[in-house]
Amino acid sequence: MIRLEKINKTYFGAQPLHVLKGIDLEVAEGEMVSIMGASGSGKSTLLNILGILDNYDSGEYYLNGKLVKNLSENEAADMRNRTIGFIFQSFNLIPFKTAMENVALPLYYQNVGRKKRNELAMEYLERFGLKEWADHYPNELSGGQKQRVSMARALVTQPKVILADEPTGALDSKTSAEVMQILREVNQSGITMIIVTHERGIALRTNKIIHLKDGVIENIEINNPDSIDFDKEIK
Amino acid sequence: MDFWREIFMALSRNKLRTFLTGFAISWGIFILIVLLAAGNGIINAIGEEFSDQSRNVYTLYWGETSKPFKGHGTNRAIYFNDKDIRFLETEAKHVDQVSPSSYFSGTAIFNDKSNNIFVNGVRPVFKDINNVKMLEGRFINVQDEKNSEKYIVIDKTLRDKLFGEGVSPLGQFIIINNMAFNVVGVCEAERHSDGGESYIPFSTLKSIKRISRYWRLSFTVKGLETKEENEAFTHYLRTQLAHLHEFDPDDTSAVYIGSTQEEYLQTMKIFRTFELFIWIIGFAMLISGIVGVSNIMRITVKERTNEIGIRKALGAKSRSILASIVTESLIITTIFGYIGMWLGMIAAEVGGTILAKVQEGKEISLNIVPSIDIRIVLMATALLIVCGVLAGFFPARNAVKIKPIEAMNYR
Repeated sequence: MIRLEKINKTYFGAQPLHVLKGIDLEVAEGEMVSIMGASGSGKSTLLNILGILDNYDSGEYYLNGKLVKNLSENEAADMRNRTIGFIFQSFNLIPFKTAMENVALPLYYQNVGRKKRNELAMEYLERFGLKEWADHYPNELSGGQKQRVSMARALVTQPKVILADEPTGALDSKTSAEVMQILREVNQSGITMIIVTHERGIALRTNKIIHLKDGVIENIEINNPDSIDFDKEIK
Repeated sequence: MDFWREIFMALSRNKLRTFLTGFAISWGIFILIVLLAAGNGIINAIGEEFSDQSRNVYTLYWGETSKPFKGHGTNRAIYFNDKDIRFLETEAKHVDQVSPSSYFSGTAIFNDKSNNIFVNGVRPVFKDINNVKMLEGRFINVQDEKNSEKYIVIDKTLRDKLFGEGVSPLGQFIIINNMAFNVVGVCEAERHSDGGESYIPFSTLKSIKRISRYWRLSFTVKGLETKEENEAFTHYLRTQLAHLHEFDPDDTSAVYIGSTQEEYLQTMKIFRTFELFIWIIGFAMLISGIVGVSNIMRITVKERTNEIGIRKALGAKSRSILASIVTESLIITTIFGYIGMWLGMIAAEVGGTILAKVQEGKEISLNIVPSIDIRIVLMATALLIVCGVLAGFFPARNAVKIKPIEAMNYR
């Protein structure tokens, strides 16, 4: 699903910063991986490149068999819209739109009709137990509810890959566990999942933990979440 | 359809932002229009104040020849006649309106009172050229002149002596040299006379007195805007008169040609300076309006950087985001600009009415009445709207250009 070959990325500022130093990575379809690393290790940059939110200097990035390089803005937008679903630490919901409208927004950019859009959005909200909250604005929702709305929004376009940037970073441990449970279920429905986190407890719920350090992959840890008692682990 | 629904939703869900942006625009246009109206009012007031100098009047005075010419000796008096009037009215270049005048004196009688009177035969244009100020009734008009009516306009001094102060003489008949004249108006006494002046139609005077020559002739001119043009015109006039009256064209004492060109040109200069001044002020106000409107648009768009980032991450194309932001700002600026424009015009109108009430009947030097030029108002409003939209466009374009991840994290 995802193949990275010798990805390099340097930020040119007052002091050029070589953030990614030749990353090679392959994520198969349906995998659930986490990327771990200290701040400054390049994990956010890597996620941005994977999400086509940022470009890279050299190397090759294949997403769903297609080379992502030198895309025009519009091509990048289309690819993001149709292949990738994002989940952010700070939810990034639009404050003046209701839960349903937020979920329906990606479909608007696919030129899906309003009725169809709202139907689909409701369907996904219902799936996450938010049917009653469809007409509420983000500031009327709890953190967990907000993250569920943003998960519904990420899934409504039926993407191939979900990219989650610290999805539980703003949530308490109980809600975190709930969110991770949902992400697992989503993954089990066949969607590839990549989660960036610095919490070991979160990473342990994925099948593969990629350790990033100073812009290179230090090691890849194979993990079996089913063998772990999370009630102990998270506390 | 969906596009407009999105825009309407964004506007109505962000009521405070919409209102604040709109208010800034309304206010900018409102202030601009009110100040422009006030500026116009001042310029009009000054114009009125200088109105007696805002006309270029030429006067021909009789003279005596000082050079022999074509068999005529020197010291021959040159008077003007009806041929000169006809020449000025039909042939001469630049001449606008001719105001021939002549007078006779006599005694005016009303009931048991009598007073000396100077009866001037004049054309309607005399009033404007000589700046006659009416106190009541009207001046001699074109109809009176055409029908040689026995109508008379008397000055205040005469009115007070014959009728008594504050008594209206309108419609009354006064007897002058056994002729009855119907009083149609009262004017202020001339500044430098003892009073007793009166005005009747020129044609009426001619039918009474059989006057065929005049000591002087006045007329207004058009299209002489420089000293050089005026000098050339004076030369042209003298040559033509020399031809009509058979005197040496170089003989400057045969006919005296006087004009108010100096005052006129000076007044025009003052006018232009004031006009320029008002334009500069207006321009400065327009600039400050543009800055104000642009600033609020810029801030509004900056505030939306997060939203822009989110939309981009969700797959929005830059162009679609830009289109909706520009459309939103266009709608806000147009609607609120229009409101501000109307409020400004209403305020100027109301202010004018109030000022007119306050100034009514008072001796004030400047009679300021705000006025607005609808074309300028529309142009200024349009310019402000365009600038507002542009001011929204550029930061929006920048916000759309930056990477979604940076836009989302923007604080």
